[in-house]
Amino acid sequence: MLTGQIVNGFVSGMMYALVAIGFTLVVGVLDKLNFTHPEVLMFGGFVGVISLNVLPLPWAFVAAIAVGGAMGLITEFIAFRRFQGSDAKITAALASMAVGLIVTDLVQKLWGTEAVTLPPLTGWMAQRFSLAGVEFPNLQIVIVGITLGLAGGLHLFLERSKAGRQIRAVAESSVSASLLGIDVRRVTQAVFLISSALAAEAGLLLALRTGAASSDIGLTFGLKAFAIMAIGGLGDLRGAAVGGVIIGILEALMFYFGLGRLSELTVWAAMILVLMYRPAGIFGSTHVLEQRA
Amino acid sequence: MISDQLFFTGINILLAWSVYVSLITGRLSFAQGAVMAIGCYSSGVLTVRFGWPRLPACVAAAVVTAIVAAILGYPALRLRGVYLILVTLGITFCVRVTFENVNYIGGVSGFGGMAGSDLSTVVVAVVVVGSILLWLSLSPLQRSCDAVREDDRVASSLGINVTLIRIMGFSAGAAIAAVAGVLYGHYMNFVRPESFDVLLSIYVVLYVVLGGVNNMFGALLGAVVMTLLPEYFRILSEWRPTVFGLSILILLLFRPMGLLTFRLVTARVRKGPMAALKPLADRVQ
Repeated sequence: MLTGQIVNGFVSGMMYALVAIGFTLVVGVLDKLNFTHPEVLMFGGFVGVISLNVLPLPWAFVAAIAVGGAMGLITEFIAFRRFQGSDAKITAALASMAVGLIVTDLVQKLWGTEAVTLPPLTGWMAQRFSLAGVEFPNLQIVIVGITLGLAGGLHLFLERSKAGRQIRAVAESSVSASLLGIDVRRVTQAVFLISSALAAEAGLLLALRTGAASSDIGLTFGLKAFAIMAIGGLGDLRGAAVGGVIIGILEALMFYFGLGRLSELTVWAAMILVLMYRPAGIFGSTHVLEQRA
Repeated sequence: MISDQLFFTGINILLAWSVYVSLITGRLSFAQGAVMAIGCYSSGVLTVRFGWPRLPACVAAAVVTAIVAAILGYPALRLRGVYLILVTLGITFCVRVTFENVNYIGGVSGFGGMAGSDLSTVVVAVVVVGSILLWLSLSPLQRSCDAVREDDRVASSLGINVTLIRIMGFSAGAAIAAVAGVLYGHYMNFVRPESFDVLLSIYVVLYVVLGGVNNMFGALLGAVVMTLLPEYFRILSEWRPTVFGLSILILLLFRPMGLLTFRLVTARVRKGPMAALKPLADRVQ
């Protein structure tokens, strides 16, 4: 039973990590909070609703990445491009909040405020495997696999590819990067595309796991990923991933010990404590220290 | 019906002012939902469980909330910009979850039994709070707040206690939000912790952004426009979040200072230098 809870927590943690990595990528490169991100996560579930009704399952993952990426580009264009410069952080955050409100409202107009059930999974995905005497749905393997694949891919992309090097250069200093001939706008678009694609993918996985897409997870699950990002340290990809897994397992343990109703409190209280006493996050990335000045 | 709408307009004006008061010291707070809940529940407990009369209960709730806000704010207000946004959002969640788990005040299922506020009480509250804010806008204290907001290092070199001013701003805002919470609770007769969720806090901040942050009438205008207009235009009430979001976006793009931009003191003393006017982004550190 405890093993089961821990594995479930680990899988939730993987999804937290996927969302938090997207958040932290935007913060790390642009120093700005993207409040549309939770709503892109929410919309990923509804992409699943559409595509599962007309196409086989694997296409849903492709569709989520494509739609999420497109939403990222749109968000960048509407809420961030006009608000550049270091003093526009708050403005951009407010503008992206406004975009988030619009996205949520449109989804609720189209699908209503109730959760929408996804078509049931079939074949291998509907079966279960057993680990240490506990049965788990095969979907959990898919979730862990996709998350590890995407996070690993992102790591390799940032560390090894030319575009990844450009992204890191802009994160260091967008002015110097542009002097070196890097197209900062293109890099910004790439960052939004990647981060929102990750969020939509996480939203799809979340909807598959719960069996329904709901329009209010943006403000619950999505904002929790925000807290996790802050716990990991703003702009710290590794911190976001580790923080996500830690919080996922911690929540599962709290449910196991009958404190489930306090689980939400843990995340936010942990975030407040981390921001007060260790604002650079659990790994103490240097990027954040400059920001706080 | 019209009295309902006016009542909620009054509540929203009070909430918008509570954000504004914290904002004149340069700190943007997304914790108004939480402090409103604290005020609402403390007054509810005092009147229902201890049988206090309503007015003392309201004052006590405002004081309690201001003290709680000062305790929460003392460490939090050292943070800037996005960090403060995150922490105040966190406070909103924490307060809600805490209230949901305290059985004494009903937990998730809510707390009821308050009664006795109506349109006239909210009008009185708006007038009282409004006059205090007007007095503040014309008083030397406003200048100290301006100094703290514009440059806290210079302000402290001038002998202004920056921390004290910031905590005062945050606490005063919390007290105003608490009054709004008290009135709301006593009007609805029954509240749940989920009535004060994070969306409320976000909306209230956006009212202020819409109306303008340079004077107290901006917050008032933002709250009135966004509460009353949807009641009279059907399309607006159906598409409220979308229309609201779009107007915020358009405003931030083309009129970043909000609808009302004049500044009270400058307007009174001389035809002032426009350089003193600043959009929200420059006012938050």
